[in-house]
Amino acid sequence: MSGGMRLWWSTCPKCKKEFVVAWELRHAQYKLICPFCDHRYLPEQSAKIDERHTE
Amino acid sequence: MASSMKGTRMSEKKKTSRKAGGGRAPKSLATYLDQIRDDPAEFRTVSRTVNPMNFDVTGLLGVLNLRREYPTVQFNNPLDMHGKPSKFPIVANLWGTRERCAEMVGLKRSEAGVRLGTLLCERIDRKQKPVVIPGRAAPVQQNVLTGKKADLWMFPVVRHFEMDLGGVMLMGLIAKPPREDFYNITFVKVFPEAPQRAGLTVHTLHMSRILREWEARKERCRVAYVLGHHPAFWLGTLNNTPWGDNEYATCGGFLQEPVRLTPSVSWGKDFLVPADAEIVIEGEILPGERTVVNPFGDISTQYQAQQLGPVMVPKAVTYRDGAIYQDIFSGHREHMLLGSIPREGTIYNQLKHKMGNVTAVHMPYSGCARFTAYVSIKKTEEGQAKTAGLQALAHVPNLNAVVVVDDTVNVFNEEEVLWAVNFQVEPRRDITVIENMRPTSDPRAMGAARVIIDATRPTHIAFPTKLKVPQSAMDRVKLDEWLDPVKGGAR
Repeated sequence: MSGGMRLWWSTCPKCKKEFVVAWELRHAQYKLICPFCDHRYLPEQSAKIDERHTE
Repeated sequence: MASSMKGTRMSEKKKTSRKAGGGRAPKSLATYLDQIRDDPAEFRTVSRTVNPMNFDVTGLLGVLNLRREYPTVQFNNPLDMHGKPSKFPIVANLWGTRERCAEMVGLKRSEAGVRLGTLLCERIDRKQKPVVIPGRAAPVQQNVLTGKKADLWMFPVVRHFEMDLGGVMLMGLIAKPPREDFYNITFVKVFPEAPQRAGLTVHTLHMSRILREWEARKERCRVAYVLGHHPAFWLGTLNNTPWGDNEYATCGGFLQEPVRLTPSVSWGKDFLVPADAEIVIEGEILPGERTVVNPFGDISTQYQAQQLGPVMVPKAVTYRDGAIYQDIFSGHREHMLLGSIPREGTIYNQLKHKMGNVTAVHMPYSGCARFTAYVSIKKTEEGQAKTAGLQALAHVPNLNAVVVVDDTVNVFNEEEVLWAVNFQVEPRRDITVIENMRPTSDPRAMGAARVIIDATRPTHIAFPTKLKVPQSAMDRVKLDEWLDPVKGGAR
């Protein structure tokens, strides 16, 4: 990436499907909303987090 | 029953396209659909019940897309977000072909190439001052709902792609800055998270600035969200006009008649709304409040990431009798063409004024008709291609890459453009990377970098030239006479 939007992937703890999230929500105290099952949860409750990033 | 009402509506709509007394009705979505509804290549209907939240709408459009068919489709019996039959049919895929876009603005189908972009550019300068009519004469206020009845879930909102957060409205938001008297109109995504509350995503510089200015004052930003108007109205909203441009006047130039406005139900003459729209949601954006929006499959044909967006609450919903809910098949042809044609015109116009030697501009589907521009110039000296590329990047902020070719290359034929890239580009000299531009909001690999590729034939060194059969030889060929008939009669 060259200064573009940083992304990460969250895996929903309920349905185990993953979706793409902007970095601004990685540590914000907002609950994510799973687009597949509508489950709401904090980022740290993700079943899996993929935040690999190239500077 | 909804179906019989809508069946009747079609015939009534034809009548309403004419004013009593025989005059021409002001341009609206309905007057446009009347022009194409008898041509099955351009307009199809679906009368079975469809659930837009269960991908029925995009499922059908997706199948047509795979068949390379791009008619406008009207879904006469969709469900609303409550799961009940909606009173509003859905129309989608309005801008599905360049030829249809040409006809929308009064051109012939044969003028759908470079002329279409340049015409739209000319229309920017042919602004028409809007006219104001009273609410009682405004079709869009034939039906008015306020309070709890202003329900965002009453609409047949479409969920487009499998990872989308939910149903999303995809039409235009109108707003004014706090201290200036002009209207900005921008395509904005609206996520109705509850009947009386929606998240938004805003991507344009001017609308973002308007929202920031209201937020800095800690005041609610008044907005009107327009779900349906004549397609030429929307083409008028997509140009990179300067801050302060009253886009109602610009849209009038594209419609070739003044946009009719009427005082809003919520704020009267302080905020005017389009009188000939199908549906208007009058709402307020709350200062400092954010909600979760996205993912959404957008123009780059990738999902935009889940993020925070501002919050809009509705104050009133108004709609004309027999209103149609307009949607866009995001990330597909109509979405691409809707934005690319005005941008092609913008680039062409800038290069024409600054350099004078531009011959054509095209934003190809391979770049989602947003992120790559092919520009042809009549080059007279080295360096002009890079200058043209810089000008293009300066005037269309979302561009990732500009490929500049000679005027002998048809920019509408990608094979020809990529031939020039393959055989006329010396990478160390002809590819320029510009770093630390404004980061894009789309998840694109190039991020804040931009690229200019000079694929014009070098003139400062001895260089090969492209082969050609003499034109005079091809001109004297008459295929029907020269080719022997195929056995069985077919040629």
